[in-house]
Amino acid sequence: MPKRWILPIMTLVVVALAGCAGPAEVYRDPNMDFGALHTVAIMPLANLTRESSAAERVRDVFTTKLLATGALYVIPPGEVSRGISRVGISNPVAPSTEELTKVAGVIKADAVITGTVKEYGEVRSGSSAANSISLSFQLLETQTGKVVWSASTTMGGIGITDRLFGGGGEPMNDITERAVSDAIKKLFE
Amino acid sequence: MPSRSSSSSLVALLLVLLLAGCGPLHRAAWSGGAAGDGEGVVAILPLQNLSGGTAPVAELRQELARRLALRGMAILPQAQLEQFMARHRLRYVGGIDAATAEALRRETGAKGVLITQVELYRTPFPPRIALTSRLVTTEETPRIERMESVALSGDDAPGLLGVGLVRKPQEVTDRALQLLAEALTGGKPQPVPKVSLASDAVYLARPLEPVRSYRVAVLPFFDKGSHGYAGEILALHFIGELVRQGRFQVIEPGTVREDLLRYRIIMEDGVSLADAELLFGMLSTDLILTGEVNDYEDLQGAQASPKVDFSALLLERSSRRAVWSMGDHRTGMDRVHFFDIGRIATASALAAGMVHQAVEESLGR
Repeated sequence: MPKRWILPIMTLVVVALAGCAGPAEVYRDPNMDFGALHTVAIMPLANLTRESSAAERVRDVFTTKLLATGALYVIPPGEVSRGISRVGISNPVAPSTEELTKVAGVIKADAVITGTVKEYGEVRSGSSAANSISLSFQLLETQTGKVVWSASTTMGGIGITDRLFGGGGEPMNDITERAVSDAIKKLFE
Repeated sequence: MPSRSSSSSLVALLLVLLLAGCGPLHRAAWSGGAAGDGEGVVAILPLQNLSGGTAPVAELRQELARRLALRGMAILPQAQLEQFMARHRLRYVGGIDAATAEALRRETGAKGVLITQVELYRTPFPPRIALTSRLVTTEETPRIERMESVALSGDDAPGLLGVGLVRKPQEVTDRALQLLAEALTGGKPQPVPKVSLASDAVYLARPLEPVRSYRVAVLPFFDKGSHGYAGEILALHFIGELVRQGRFQVIEPGTVREDLLRYRIIMEDGVSLADAELLFGMLSTDLILTGEVNDYEDLQGAQASPKVDFSALLLERSSRRAVWSMGDHRTGMDRVHFFDIGRIATASALAAGMVHQAVEESLGR
Protein backbone atom coordinates (compact mmCIF):
# COMPACT_ATOMS: atom_id res chain seq x y z
CA MET A 1 0.00 0.00 0.00
CA PRO A 2 1.45 3.41 -0.91
CA LYS A 3 2.55 5.43 2.11
CA ARG A 4 0.56 8.49 1.03
CA TRP A 5 -2.73 6.59 1.72
CA ILE A 6 -1.93 5.82 5.33
CA LEU A 7 -2.70 9.27 6.67
CA PRO A 8 -6.15 9.59 4.99
CA ILE A 9 -7.09 6.05 6.07
CA MET A 10 -6.03 6.71 9.65
CA THR A 11 -8.04 9.93 9.66
CA LEU A 12 -11.10 8.10 8.36
CA VAL A 13 -10.74 5.40 11.03
CA VAL A 14 -10.44 7.99 13.81
CA VAL A 15 -13.49 9.89 12.51
CA ALA A 16 -15.49 6.65 12.21
CA LEU A 17 -14.58 5.54 15.76
CA ALA A 18 -15.45 8.95 17.15
CA GLY A 19 -18.92 8.50 15.68
CA CYS A 20 -19.32 5.28 17.68
CA ALA A 21 -18.74 7.02 21.00
CA GLY A 22 -21.84 7.33 23.19
CA PRO A 23 -23.05 10.68 24.45
CA ALA A 24 -21.45 11.90 27.66
CA GLU A 25 -23.80 10.70 30.45
CA VAL A 26 -22.24 12.53 33.35
CA TYR A 27 -21.59 16.16 34.13
CA ARG A 28 -19.57 17.09 37.17
CA ASP A 29 -18.76 20.63 38.23
CA PRO A 30 -14.97 20.69 38.50
CA ASN A 31 -15.06 23.50 41.06
CA MET A 32 -17.42 21.73 43.46
CA ASP A 33 -16.09 20.13 46.62
CA PHE A 34 -18.29 17.05 46.85
CA GLY A 35 -16.67 16.05 50.12
CA ALA A 36 -18.40 19.00 51.77
CA LEU A 37 -21.81 17.48 51.13
CA HIS A 38 -23.13 15.43 54.01
CA THR A 39 -26.91 15.68 53.85
CA VAL A 40 -29.02 15.50 50.72
CA ALA A 41 -32.73 15.58 50.04
CA ILE A 42 -34.27 13.68 47.16
CA MET A 43 -37.18 15.62 45.72
CA PRO A 44 -40.14 13.84 44.10
CA LEU A 45 -39.08 12.75 40.62
CA ALA A 46 -40.79 13.83 37.42
CA ASN A 47 -42.62 10.99 35.77
CA LEU A 48 -42.77 10.96 31.98
CA THR A 49 -44.02 7.39 31.76
CA ARG A 50 -47.46 5.82 31.71
CA GLU A 51 -46.78 3.92 34.94
CA SER A 52 -48.19 6.22 37.60
CA SER A 53 -46.09 4.81 40.45
CA ALA A 54 -42.77 4.74 38.53
CA ALA A 55 -41.38 7.95 40.02
CA GLU A 56 -42.21 6.93 43.60
CA ARG A 57 -40.71 3.47 43.13
CA VAL A 58 -37.49 4.84 41.67
CA ARG A 59 -37.24 7.48 44.41
CA ASP A 60 -37.70 4.81 47.06
CA VAL A 61 -34.95 2.61 45.60
CA PHE A 62 -32.66 5.62 45.11
CA THR A 63 -33.16 6.78 48.71
CA THR A 64 -32.36 3.36 50.16
CA LYS A 65 -29.35 2.72 47.95
CA LEU A 66 -27.85 6.16 48.44
CA LEU A 67 -28.29 5.85 52.19
CA ALA A 68 -26.78 2.37 52.09
CA THR A 69 -23.55 3.74 50.61
CA GLY A 70 -22.97 5.44 53.96
CA ALA A 71 -21.34 8.38 52.18
CA LEU A 72 -24.34 10.72 52.37
CA TYR A 73 -27.22 11.08 54.77
CA VAL A 74 -30.51 11.15 52.91
CA ILE A 75 -33.31 13.08 54.58
CA PRO A 76 -36.39 10.87 55.07
CA PRO A 77 -39.09 11.44 52.39
CA GLY A 78 -41.64 12.51 55.02
CA GLU A 79 -39.38 15.34 56.14
CA VAL A 80 -38.79 16.41 52.53
CA SER A 81 -42.54 16.42 52.03
CA ARG A 82 -42.97 18.64 55.09
CA GLY A 83 -40.37 21.05 53.72
CA ILE A 84 -42.12 21.20 50.35
CA SER A 85 -45.50 21.98 51.87
CA ARG A 86 -44.03 24.47 54.34
CA VAL A 87 -42.26 26.41 51.59
CA GLY A 88 -45.29 26.02 49.32
CA ILE A 89 -43.53 24.66 46.26
CA SER A 90 -46.16 24.35 43.57
CA ASN A 91 -44.15 22.01 41.35
CA PRO A 92 -41.71 20.02 43.54
CA VAL A 93 -40.31 18.04 40.59
CA ALA A 94 -38.83 21.25 39.16
CA PRO A 95 -38.23 23.75 41.97
CA SER A 96 -36.90 27.22 41.25
CA THR A 97 -33.59 28.34 42.75
CA GLU A 98 -35.40 30.43 45.32
CA GLU A 99 -37.65 27.55 46.36
CA LEU A 100 -34.68 25.24 46.50
CA THR A 101 -32.77 27.50 48.85
CA LYS A 102 -35.80 27.88 51.09
CA VAL A 103 -36.63 24.17 51.28
CA ALA A 104 -33.01 23.28 51.94
CA GLY A 105 -33.02 25.73 54.84
CA VAL A 106 -36.16 24.19 56.31
CA ILE A 107 -34.99 20.60 56.10
CA LYS A 108 -31.29 21.41 56.59
CA ALA A 109 -29.96 19.87 53.40
CA ASP A 110 -26.58 20.60 51.85
CA ALA A 111 -27.79 19.59 48.42
CA VAL A 112 -30.95 18.54 46.67
CA ILE A 113 -31.39 15.84 44.07
CA THR A 114 -34.02 16.17 41.38
CA GLY A 115 -34.65 13.72 38.60
CA THR A 116 -36.82 12.37 35.84
CA VAL A 117 -38.09 8.90 35.04
CA LYS A 118 -38.13 8.95 31.27
CA GLU A 119 -38.94 5.36 30.57
CA TYR A 120 -40.26 2.62 32.85
CA GLY A 121 -41.89 -0.59 31.76
CA GLU A 122 -42.18 -2.86 28.79
CA VAL A 123 -40.84 -1.92 25.39
CA ARG A 124 -41.76 -3.82 22.25
CA SER A 125 -40.09 -4.30 18.94
CA GLY A 126 -41.80 -6.65 16.53
CA SER A 127 -42.60 -9.82 18.44
CA SER A 128 -39.98 -9.16 21.14
CA ALA A 129 -40.66 -7.44 24.44
CA ALA A 130 -38.52 -6.57 27.45
CA ASN A 131 -38.50 -4.23 30.41
CA SER A 132 -36.58 -1.02 30.20
CA ILE A 133 -35.83 2.00 32.37
CA SER A 134 -34.30 5.38 31.64
CA LEU A 135 -33.48 7.85 34.40
CA SER A 136 -31.74 11.17 34.81
CA PHE A 137 -30.69 12.91 38.02
CA GLN A 138 -29.29 16.30 38.93
CA LEU A 139 -27.57 17.34 42.14
CA LEU A 140 -28.14 20.98 42.98
CA GLU A 141 -26.06 22.90 45.45
CA THR A 142 -28.48 24.68 47.74
CA GLN A 143 -26.70 27.99 48.34
CA THR A 144 -26.58 28.96 44.68
CA GLY A 145 -29.06 26.52 43.17
CA LYS A 146 -26.39 25.50 40.66
CA VAL A 147 -26.37 22.04 39.08
CA VAL A 148 -23.11 20.48 40.23
CA TRP A 149 -23.66 16.94 39.00
CA SER A 150 -25.91 15.44 36.40
CA ALA A 151 -26.17 11.92 35.12
CA SER A 152 -28.45 9.72 33.13
CA THR A 153 -28.69 5.99 32.80
CA THR A 154 -30.64 3.48 30.78
CA MET A 155 -30.96 -0.21 31.52
CA GLY A 156 -32.84 -3.16 30.11
CA GLY A 157 -34.41 -3.12 26.72
CA ILE A 158 -34.51 -5.75 24.01
CA GLY A 159 -31.22 -7.53 23.63
CA ILE A 160 -30.06 -9.98 21.05
CA THR A 161 -31.09 -12.97 23.18
CA ASP A 162 -34.60 -11.53 23.57
CA ARG A 163 -34.82 -11.21 19.81
CA LEU A 164 -33.49 -14.69 19.15
CA PHE A 165 -35.07 -16.69 21.95
CA GLY A 166 -37.92 -14.51 23.16
CA GLY A 167 -38.56 -14.04 26.87
CA GLY A 168 -39.56 -10.86 28.61
CA GLY A 169 -36.14 -9.66 29.68
CA GLU A 170 -35.24 -8.95 33.30
CA PRO A 171 -37.85 -8.16 35.97
CA MET A 172 -38.60 -4.46 36.34
CA ASN A 173 -37.36 -4.33 39.92
CA ASP A 174 -33.95 -5.77 38.99
CA ILE A 175 -33.53 -3.27 36.18
CA THR A 176 -34.54 -0.41 38.46
CA GLU A 177 -31.95 -1.43 41.04
CA ARG A 178 -29.24 -1.75 38.41
CA ALA A 179 -30.06 1.63 36.91
CA VAL A 180 -30.08 3.35 40.29
CA SER A 181 -26.79 1.67 41.28
CA ASP A 182 -25.29 2.85 38.00
CA ALA A 183 -26.39 6.42 38.68
CA ILE A 184 -24.95 6.31 42.21
CA LYS A 185 -21.70 4.92 40.85
CA LYS A 186 -21.51 7.89 38.49
CA LEU A 187 -21.99 10.22 41.44
CA PHE A 188 -19.07 8.79 43.38
CA GLU A 189 -16.62 7.94 40.61
CA MET B 1 -46.70 -74.39 81.73
CA PRO B 2 -49.65 -72.10 81.88
CA SER B 3 -53.09 -73.56 81.84
CA ARG B 4 -55.35 -73.31 78.79
CA SER B 5 -57.71 -70.83 80.49
CA SER B 6 -54.92 -68.45 81.60
CA SER B 7 -53.47 -68.40 78.05
CA SER B 8 -56.79 -67.52 76.51
CA SER B 9 -57.30 -64.76 79.11
CA LEU B 10 -53.91 -63.29 78.22
CA VAL B 11 -54.69 -63.41 74.48
CA ALA B 12 -58.08 -61.79 75.10
CA LEU B 13 -56.47 -59.01 77.13
CA LEU B 14 -53.89 -58.35 74.41
CA LEU B 15 -56.65 -58.30 71.78
CA VAL B 16 -58.67 -55.78 73.79
CA LEU B 17 -55.60 -53.57 74.22
CA LEU B 18 -54.82 -53.75 70.50
CA LEU B 19 -58.39 -52.93 69.54
CA ALA B 20 -58.40 -50.03 71.96
CA GLY B 21 -55.36 -48.64 70.13
CA CYS B 22 -57.22 -48.80 66.84
CA GLY B 23 -60.14 -46.80 68.16
CA PRO B 24 -60.93 -43.50 66.37
CA LEU B 25 -59.33 -40.36 67.75
CA HIS B 26 -62.08 -38.11 68.91
CA ARG B 27 -61.58 -34.34 69.07
CA ALA B 28 -61.42 -33.39 72.68
CA ALA B 29 -64.56 -31.47 73.41
CA TRP B 30 -64.47 -27.82 74.35
CA SER B 31 -67.70 -26.01 74.93
CA GLY B 32 -66.26 -22.55 74.38
CA GLY B 33 -68.03 -21.28 77.41
CA ALA B 34 -66.78 -22.81 80.57
CA ALA B 35 -63.07 -22.80 79.82
CA GLY B 36 -62.09 -19.86 81.84
CA ASP B 37 -64.28 -17.85 84.12
CA GLY B 38 -62.47 -15.58 86.48
CA GLU B 39 -58.92 -14.40 86.88
CA GLY B 40 -56.08 -15.21 84.52
CA VAL B 41 -58.06 -15.82 81.35
CA VAL B 42 -57.18 -14.67 77.85
CA ALA B 43 -59.71 -12.86 75.68
CA ILE B 44 -59.54 -13.87 72.04
CA LEU B 45 -60.64 -10.93 69.95
CA PRO B 46 -62.47 -11.55 66.68
CA LEU B 47 -59.98 -12.00 63.86
CA GLN B 48 -59.05 -9.05 61.71
CA ASN B 49 -59.17 -9.90 58.04
CA LEU B 50 -56.27 -8.33 56.14
CA SER B 51 -56.37 -10.83 53.29
CA GLY B 52 -58.15 -8.52 50.88
CA GLY B 53 -60.75 -11.24 50.26
CA THR B 54 -63.30 -13.14 52.27
CA ALA B 55 -62.27 -15.40 55.12
CA PRO B 56 -64.35 -17.40 57.63
CA VAL B 57 -63.06 -15.35 60.55
CA ALA B 58 -65.70 -16.54 63.04
CA GLU B 59 -64.96 -20.20 62.37
CA LEU B 60 -61.21 -19.61 62.44
CA ARG B 61 -61.52 -17.82 65.76
CA GLN B 62 -63.60 -20.59 67.28
CA GLU B 63 -61.21 -23.29 66.09
CA LEU B 64 -58.17 -21.37 67.32
CA ALA B 65 -59.83 -20.88 70.71
CA ARG B 66 -60.63 -24.59 70.90
CA ARG B 67 -57.06 -25.61 70.12
CA LEU B 68 -55.63 -23.11 72.59
CA ALA B 69 -58.01 -24.31 75.30
CA LEU B 70 -56.96 -27.89 74.66
CA ARG B 71 -53.35 -26.82 75.15
CA GLY B 72 -54.20 -25.40 78.54
CA MET B 73 -54.90 -21.75 77.86
CA ALA B 74 -57.82 -20.38 79.89
CA ILE B 75 -60.10 -18.55 77.47
CA LEU B 76 -62.61 -15.86 78.32
CA PRO B 77 -66.06 -17.07 77.23
CA GLN B 78 -67.12 -15.55 73.92
CA ALA B 79 -70.43 -14.27 75.25
CA GLN B 80 -68.69 -12.37 78.01
CA LEU B 81 -66.26 -10.83 75.52
CA GLU B 82 -69.09 -9.87 73.18
CA GLN B 83 -70.90 -8.15 76.03
CA PHE B 84 -67.76 -6.24 76.87
CA MET B 85 -67.25 -5.23 73.23
CA ALA B 86 -70.85 -4.05 72.95
CA ARG B 87 -70.64 -2.13 76.19
CA HIS B 88 -67.46 -0.33 75.12
CA ARG B 89 -68.43 -0.09 71.43
CA LEU B 90 -65.22 -1.87 70.55
CA ARG B 91 -65.10 -2.32 66.79
CA TYR B 92 -61.41 -2.20 65.96
CA VAL B 93 -59.94 -5.63 66.58
CA GLY B 94 -56.46 -5.13 65.12
CA GLY B 95 -55.02 -3.89 68.40
CA ILE B 96 -55.86 -2.72 71.89
CA ASP B 97 -55.23 0.60 73.56
CA ALA B 98 -54.33 1.09 77.22
CA ALA B 99 -57.80 2.25 78.34
CA THR B 100 -59.60 -0.70 76.71
CA ALA B 101 -57.04 -3.18 78.04
CA GLU B 102 -57.46 -1.82 81.54
CA ALA B 103 -61.27 -1.96 81.28
CA LEU B 104 -61.10 -5.52 79.99
CA ARG B 105 -58.96 -6.61 82.93
CA ARG B 106 -61.15 -4.82 85.44
CA GLU B 107 -64.49 -6.03 84.10
CA THR B 108 -63.69 -9.56 82.95
CA GLY B 109 -60.52 -10.46 84.82
CA ALA B 110 -58.71 -11.17 81.55
CA LYS B 111 -54.95 -11.06 82.00
CA GLY B 112 -54.29 -10.96 78.29
CA VAL B 113 -55.77 -10.42 74.86
CA LEU B 114 -55.05 -12.50 71.80
CA ILE B 115 -55.12 -10.37 68.67
CA THR B 116 -55.09 -12.29 65.42
CA GLN B 117 -54.88 -11.18 61.81
CA VAL B 118 -55.71 -13.24 58.76
CA GLU B 119 -53.08 -12.21 56.24
CA LEU B 120 -54.06 -14.66 53.56
CA TYR B 121 -56.93 -17.03 52.95
CA ARG B 122 -57.40 -18.71 49.56
CA THR B 123 -59.36 -21.89 48.93
CA PRO B 124 -58.74 -22.61 45.20
CA PHE B 125 -55.82 -24.96 44.60
CA PRO B 126 -53.31 -24.62 46.13
CA PRO B 127 -55.16 -23.61 49.33
CA ARG B 128 -53.25 -21.00 51.30
CA ILE B 129 -53.50 -19.43 54.71
CA ALA B 130 -51.39 -17.02 56.73
CA LEU B 131 -52.16 -15.99 60.29
CA THR B 132 -50.43 -13.75 62.81
CA SER B 133 -51.30 -13.73 66.50
CA ARG B 134 -49.97 -11.74 69.38
CA LEU B 135 -50.63 -12.08 73.05
CA VAL B 136 -50.91 -8.69 74.72
CA THR B 137 -51.08 -8.17 78.46
CA THR B 138 -53.83 -6.04 79.98
CA GLU B 139 -51.45 -4.21 82.30
CA GLU B 140 -51.60 -0.45 82.69
CA THR B 141 -49.36 -0.26 79.66
CA PRO B 142 -50.23 -3.17 77.36
CA ARG B 143 -47.17 -5.25 76.52
CA ILE B 144 -46.70 -7.71 73.68
CA GLU B 145 -45.89 -10.95 75.47
CA ARG B 146 -45.56 -13.21 72.46
CA MET B 147 -46.12 -12.95 68.74
CA GLU B 148 -46.24 -15.80 66.26
CA SER B 149 -46.99 -16.21 62.58
CA VAL B 150 -47.80 -19.14 60.40
CA ALA B 151 -48.10 -19.26 56.62
CA LEU B 152 -48.95 -22.46 54.79
CA SER B 153 -49.76 -23.43 51.24
CA GLY B 154 -51.05 -26.71 49.88
CA ASP B 155 -48.03 -26.93 47.59
CA ASP B 156 -45.36 -26.18 50.20
CA ALA B 157 -43.93 -29.68 49.87
CA PRO B 158 -45.28 -31.26 46.65
CA GLY B 159 -42.87 -34.21 46.84
CA LEU B 160 -42.33 -36.79 44.13
CA LEU B 161 -45.14 -36.83 41.53
CA GLY B 162 -47.13 -34.42 43.67
CA VAL B 163 -47.87 -36.92 46.43
CA GLY B 164 -47.30 -34.23 49.05
CA LEU B 165 -49.82 -31.78 47.64
CA VAL B 166 -52.64 -30.84 49.95
CA ARG B 167 -55.78 -30.07 48.00
CA LYS B 168 -58.34 -29.63 50.79
CA PRO B 169 -58.42 -26.11 52.27
CA GLN B 170 -59.61 -27.52 55.59
CA GLU B 171 -56.46 -29.59 56.00
CA VAL B 172 -54.22 -26.57 55.44
CA THR B 173 -56.34 -24.46 57.79
CA ASP B 174 -56.32 -27.10 60.53
CA ARG B 175 -52.57 -27.51 60.25
CA ALA B 176 -52.01 -23.73 60.39
CA LEU B 177 -54.24 -23.32 63.42
CA GLN B 178 -52.53 -26.22 65.18
CA LEU B 179 -49.05 -24.78 64.52
CA LEU B 180 -50.18 -21.36 65.68
CA ALA B 181 -51.78 -22.73 68.84
CA GLU B 182 -48.63 -24.72 69.62
CA ALA B 183 -46.36 -21.73 69.02
CA LEU B 184 -48.50 -19.49 71.23
CA THR B 185 -48.49 -21.95 74.08
CA GLY B 186 -44.77 -22.50 74.31
CA GLY B 187 -44.31 -24.87 71.39
CA LYS B 188 -41.88 -24.57 68.53
CA PRO B 189 -42.58 -21.58 66.26
CA GLN B 190 -42.80 -22.09 62.52
CA PRO B 191 -39.30 -21.65 61.07
CA VAL B 192 -38.71 -18.49 59.08
CA PRO B 193 -37.70 -19.22 55.47
CA LYS B 194 -34.21 -18.24 54.40
CA VAL B 195 -34.06 -15.19 52.18
CA SER B 196 -30.90 -13.56 50.87
CA LEU B 197 -31.03 -9.79 50.69
CA ALA B 198 -28.98 -7.72 48.28
CA SER B 199 -25.63 -6.57 49.68
CA ASP B 200 -26.63 -2.90 49.47
CA ALA B 201 -30.14 -3.42 50.80
CA VAL B 202 -29.43 -2.47 54.41
CA TYR B 203 -27.99 0.71 55.89
CA LEU B 204 -26.94 1.00 59.51
CA ALA B 205 -25.52 4.31 60.74
CA ARG B 206 -23.96 2.64 63.76
CA PRO B 207 -24.65 -0.53 65.73
CA LEU B 208 -27.21 -0.23 68.51
CA GLU B 209 -25.88 -0.42 72.04
CA PRO B 210 -25.70 -4.15 72.79
CA VAL B 211 -26.88 -4.14 76.39
CA ARG B 212 -29.54 -1.49 76.10
CA SER B 213 -33.24 -2.22 75.68
CA TYR B 214 -34.99 0.05 73.19
CA ARG B 215 -38.63 1.10 73.12
CA VAL B 216 -39.89 1.00 69.54
CA ALA B 217 -43.10 2.19 67.93
CA VAL B 218 -43.88 0.60 64.58
CA LEU B 219 -46.14 2.72 62.41
CA PRO B 220 -48.25 1.19 59.65
CA PHE B 221 -46.32 1.19 56.39
CA PHE B 222 -47.59 3.13 53.41
CA ASP B 223 -49.11 0.75 50.91
CA LYS B 224 -48.25 2.01 47.46
CA GLY B 225 -49.23 -1.21 45.75
CA SER B 226 -52.65 -2.66 45.04
CA HIS B 227 -53.09 -4.97 48.04
CA GLY B 228 -54.80 -2.54 50.37
CA TYR B 229 -53.57 -4.01 53.66
CA ALA B 230 -49.92 -4.68 52.81
CA GLY B 231 -48.78 -1.75 54.95
CA GLU B 232 -50.36 -3.21 58.06
CA ILE B 233 -49.09 -6.71 57.27
CA LEU B 234 -45.49 -5.53 56.86
CA ALA B 235 -45.72 -3.57 60.11
CA LEU B 236 -46.91 -6.76 61.84
CA HIS B 237 -43.95 -8.73 60.50
CA PHE B 238 -41.57 -6.11 61.83
CA ILE B 239 -43.32 -6.10 65.22
CA GLY B 240 -43.09 -9.88 65.40
CA GLU B 241 -39.41 -9.92 64.50
CA LEU B 242 -38.51 -7.16 66.94
CA VAL B 243 -40.43 -8.92 69.73
CA ARG B 244 -38.58 -12.15 68.97
CA GLN B 245 -35.22 -10.35 69.10
CA GLY B 246 -35.85 -9.76 72.79
CA ARG B 247 -33.98 -6.44 73.08
CA PHE B 248 -36.86 -4.27 71.90
CA GLN B 249 -39.95 -3.28 73.84
CA VAL B 250 -42.39 -2.89 70.99
CA ILE B 251 -45.35 -0.67 71.73
CA GLU B 252 -48.69 -2.35 71.13
CA PRO B 253 -49.96 -1.09 67.72
CA GLY B 254 -53.40 -0.42 69.24
CA THR B 255 -51.80 2.16 71.54
CA VAL B 256 -49.93 3.75 68.64
CA ARG B 257 -53.12 3.92 66.58
CA GLU B 258 -55.06 5.48 69.43
CA ASP B 259 -52.44 8.22 69.87
CA LEU B 260 -52.26 8.90 66.13
CA LEU B 261 -56.05 9.34 66.10
CA ARG B 262 -56.17 11.38 69.29
CA TYR B 263 -53.58 13.88 68.08
CA ARG B 264 -54.89 13.72 64.51
CA ILE B 265 -51.48 12.95 63.04
CA ILE B 266 -51.85 12.42 59.32
CA MET B 267 -48.75 11.38 57.44
CA GLU B 268 -49.25 11.90 53.75
CA ASP B 269 -45.81 11.01 52.48
CA GLY B 270 -43.94 9.44 55.33
CA VAL B 271 -43.06 10.59 58.80
CA SER B 272 -41.66 14.10 59.07
CA LEU B 273 -39.29 14.98 61.90
CA ALA B 274 -42.02 17.16 63.42
CA ASP B 275 -44.39 14.14 63.50
CA ALA B 276 -41.60 11.97 64.83
CA GLU B 277 -40.86 14.50 67.56
CA LEU B 278 -44.48 14.42 68.67
CA LEU B 279 -44.62 10.62 68.57
CA PHE B 280 -41.36 10.21 70.50
CA GLY B 281 -42.82 12.32 73.26
CA MET B 282 -46.33 10.84 73.24
CA LEU B 283 -45.26 7.23 73.14
CA SER B 284 -42.02 7.64 75.13
CA THR B 285 -40.08 5.72 72.52
CA ASP B 286 -36.45 5.61 71.55
CA LEU B 287 -37.08 4.51 67.98
CA ILE B 288 -39.81 4.82 65.37
CA LEU B 289 -40.02 2.37 62.52
CA THR B 290 -41.89 3.27 59.38
CA GLY B 291 -41.76 2.38 55.71
CA GLU B 292 -43.57 1.79 52.49
CA VAL B 293 -44.66 -1.22 50.51
CA ASN B 294 -44.41 -1.14 46.74
CA ASP B 295 -45.46 -4.71 46.02
CA TYR B 296 -47.07 -7.42 48.08
CA GLU B 297 -48.62 -10.02 45.84
CA ASP B 298 -49.82 -13.56 46.34
CA LEU B 299 -50.54 -14.72 42.85
CA GLN B 300 -52.90 -17.66 42.57
CA GLY B 301 -51.89 -20.82 40.77
CA ALA B 302 -49.61 -23.79 41.28
CA GLN B 303 -46.55 -22.18 39.68
CA ALA B 304 -47.29 -18.62 40.79
CA SER B 305 -44.61 -16.99 42.84
CA PRO B 306 -45.24 -14.32 45.50
CA LYS B 307 -43.61 -10.92 45.18
CA VAL B 308 -42.67 -8.54 47.98
CA ASP B 309 -41.03 -5.12 47.64
CA PHE B 310 -40.74 -2.71 50.54
CA SER B 311 -38.48 -0.25 52.30
CA ALA B 312 -38.22 0.58 56.00
CA LEU B 313 -36.67 3.41 57.99
CA LEU B 314 -35.79 3.58 61.68
CA LEU B 315 -35.71 7.03 63.25
CA GLU B 316 -33.81 7.59 66.47
CA ARG B 317 -35.00 9.95 69.17
CA SER B 318 -31.60 11.11 70.43
CA SER B 319 -30.13 12.06 67.06
CA ARG B 320 -33.41 12.83 65.21
CA ARG B 321 -32.00 10.94 62.26
CA ALA B 322 -32.55 7.73 60.38
CA VAL B 323 -30.19 5.19 61.95
CA TRP B 324 -31.24 2.16 59.99
CA SER B 325 -32.85 1.63 56.66
CA MET B 326 -33.50 -1.26 54.36
CA GLY B 327 -35.18 -1.78 51.04
CA ASP B 328 -35.35 -4.77 48.79
CA HIS B 329 -37.60 -6.79 46.57
CA ARG B 330 -37.77 -10.55 46.41
CA THR B 331 -39.85 -13.24 44.81
CA GLY B 332 -40.62 -16.72 46.09
CA MET B 333 -38.43 -18.26 43.36
CA ASP B 334 -35.23 -16.31 44.09
CA ARG B 335 -33.46 -19.18 45.84
CA VAL B 336 -34.73 -21.92 43.54
CA HIS B 337 -32.08 -23.57 41.43
CA PHE B 338 -33.70 -26.89 40.65
CA PHE B 339 -36.88 -28.85 41.43
CA ASP B 340 -38.51 -25.97 43.30
CA ILE B 341 -36.19 -26.51 46.27
CA GLY B 342 -36.07 -23.30 48.29
CA ARG B 343 -39.33 -22.00 46.87
CA ILE B 344 -41.44 -19.80 49.15
CA ALA B 345 -45.12 -20.13 48.44
CA THR B 346 -46.71 -17.16 50.20
CA ALA B 347 -45.98 -13.46 50.35
CA SER B 348 -46.40 -13.65 54.13
CA ALA B 349 -43.58 -16.19 54.50
CA LEU B 350 -41.42 -14.25 52.04
CA ALA B 351 -41.95 -10.98 53.91
CA ALA B 352 -41.22 -12.73 57.22
CA GLY B 353 -37.95 -14.05 55.78
CA MET B 354 -36.91 -10.66 54.43
CA VAL B 355 -37.71 -8.87 57.67
CA HIS B 356 -35.93 -11.53 59.73
CA GLN B 357 -32.82 -11.34 57.57
CA ALA B 358 -32.69 -7.53 57.64
CA VAL B 359 -33.29 -7.22 61.39
CA GLU B 360 -31.13 -10.16 62.43
CA GLU B 361 -28.17 -8.98 60.34
CA SER B 362 -28.02 -5.43 61.59
CA LEU B 363 -30.25 -4.84 64.61
CA GLY B 364 -29.90 -8.17 66.39
CA ARG B 365 -27.64 -8.50 69.37
